[in-house]
Amino acid sequence: MSSRDPRSSILALRSSLLGLLCLVLLLGGRASAGTELSVMMGLGEGEWRVMRERIFPPFEEQHEVKVRAIQAEADQAVKKLVAMHRAGRMRVDLITQDVLRLSSLIDAGVMRDLSEQREAIPLSALPQLIQVGTFDGALYFSPYRPNVQITYYHAEKFAEYGLQPPRTWEELLAVARRFKEAEGVGRVLLHGSLDVNTSIHVMEFIWAAGGDPLLLNDAGSVRAFSFLQQLAPYLAPETRLANWNTTNTFLATEAVYLARNWPFGVNLLVQQAGKTQIKAYHGWQGPLREAHVLGGEVIGIPRGARHPGPAVEFMRYLMSRPVQETLVTALGWPSFRTDAYGTLETWQRPYFAAIQEALRYAVVRPHVTGWAEVDRALVGAFREIVYGGQPVEPTLARYHQQLQKARQRLR
Amino acid sequence: MKRTRWSFWWHLGSLPILLLTLLPVYLMLKISVSPPAEVLTPHPTFGLHHVTGEHWKALLTSGALWPPLLKSLLVATWTMLGAIALAAPAAYAIARLPQRWKYPLLLSFFASRMIPEVGVALPVAVQFLRWGLEDTQLGLALAHLIRTLPFVVWILAGTFETIPVALEESAQVDGCHRLQILWYVVFPLAAPGVAVAALFAWLESWNEFTYALYLSLTENTLPLQTYYYVIRGSWFDAATYATFLAVPVMLITAALQRYLKAGYLMGALKG
Repeated sequence: MSSRDPRSSILALRSSLLGLLCLVLLLGGRASAGTELSVMMGLGEGEWRVMRERIFPPFEEQHEVKVRAIQAEADQAVKKLVAMHRAGRMRVDLITQDVLRLSSLIDAGVMRDLSEQREAIPLSALPQLIQVGTFDGALYFSPYRPNVQITYYHAEKFAEYGLQPPRTWEELLAVARRFKEAEGVGRVLLHGSLDVNTSIHVMEFIWAAGGDPLLLNDAGSVRAFSFLQQLAPYLAPETRLANWNTTNTFLATEAVYLARNWPFGVNLLVQQAGKTQIKAYHGWQGPLREAHVLGGEVIGIPRGARHPGPAVEFMRYLMSRPVQETLVTALGWPSFRTDAYGTLETWQRPYFAAIQEALRYAVVRPHVTGWAEVDRALVGAFREIVYGGQPVEPTLARYHQQLQKARQRLR
Repeated sequence: MKRTRWSFWWHLGSLPILLLTLLPVYLMLKISVSPPAEVLTPHPTFGLHHVTGEHWKALLTSGALWPPLLKSLLVATWTMLGAIALAAPAAYAIARLPQRWKYPLLLSFFASRMIPEVGVALPVAVQFLRWGLEDTQLGLALAHLIRTLPFVVWILAGTFETIPVALEESAQVDGCHRLQILWYVVFPLAAPGVAVAALFAWLESWNEFTYALYLSLTENTLPLQTYYYVIRGSWFDAATYATFLAVPVMLITAALQRYLKAGYLMGALKG
């Protein structure tokens, strides 16, 4: 038997529903957008502020266009653009996209050929960023901003143990071993989350040893994986969870003292979390050279964009020297133009210097159909050899076979 | 005496489950009110030591919270109303069907849920975009109905089944016509089930991510905005947004839980 009168409960339920309905009707109306230039980017709050306050207004004034900003991370941008392209209703006029996620847009036929706009690219542009936007000889993306991973280290801990940031593989191994012996737990971190983050780090090791990640069984690859297997016992346990995002947490909570990651962490760690003891430098070299996967962003215009003319103008504007200098000054982004200089705050300078130095060793990831297969092979080999302790050469030989078969199938 | 002992063990047994459920919520809340120095250390403490309202102040004054909140609130409410309006008549009709038709029909509602949502979302989104439903509350509410309707029908069919047909016959004898019977007899008795279904539909929509991702351009929903801060913001932004996302869920569940009681139909035929 219920102590409450069911009728009053029912009345309360009906009243609640009615109230919600009124609220919806009251707040539901929404104005639709007019003729605007829709620009899709993946930015943090501070970066959007710079765009809205310093980059968009001069263009809007000069071209009498309203820039409508759309936030989308690189993988979300791909999903949204593919859906709009298939629906035949492209609602985005221009995108800036992660250079490591371009192939899926090209494969889906979403992007417009910008070869006619090639002359708009300044002569001072980094050639690698033009190369990365070129597919089968056609320019689909123009350069916007380069990026590379830098190496963060806990300066106080290094000083405490009398260590220097490692510049070679041998030094890296020695540092990792020293921390493990001193603290009983590894403090050197690799991106070992067994996804694209891992494949980027593995690729850098392979290139540094003179190998080819598309082959996997060549001498350089064998050397790289042998070194990684040697390093494995001294790695931080957090390595298994480490990606571009979680690495910042591990550095901020001082769970690790040395980690390679993208430069966006500088603002997060130093400016927001106040971890000034975390410094950065470009990184270490392998037996052959130093190598960093070229990241960053390029500019593209989707096919079917409603305002292609203003979009091309905006693309040229983003590549212009004044805009690039503003981006250097306001955001600490390195420029793709060698003639664009900005003024940085004092605290930013050493980190910016590390990025500039690492950029000297930037390597473009090759454009290969079905890059996911390469990622899968690199990650699989890493899992078996580094985590599983499997013998290097037979394991790589097996992954070489698998990769070649998969690539042949895709061709 | 036996009942008291059983109750004691029942409460004791549920304590670990309660702790496991509340722990992440507590950690979220703790990070959202802690200064960076207390959290970003090698050994962060479990308890609250220094409370700061800075992250909450930043959240509430950023201007980035209210539009997604409003959108999520409206879309979830539209979804809930739409789900009840569409599912209630269907569920009632199904509940009154013979057994051999009822269950195959109910199961067929779940056919759309057998395929992973990630696989269905793209073609659905493409169709919705063709209809011009991007960045609209209507589009998102309709998309959310795809996932909520089968469950709402399932819940309501079960509810209507428990209402004896004899009650409807009695009302008919008293002079009620069909719609009056539904409005004055069946639906009031089904109120607890309707509340459960409404709560479910609202929460499903409130937390939904995949369709919101495809169909939102300039205005995010709250889960998308929370994801944005998880990816792009600081740890404190992420924790504050996540706490904020969880609060309405707790409030609504608490407010509607009295409808989740069993036994509302006990004695309905008495006299």
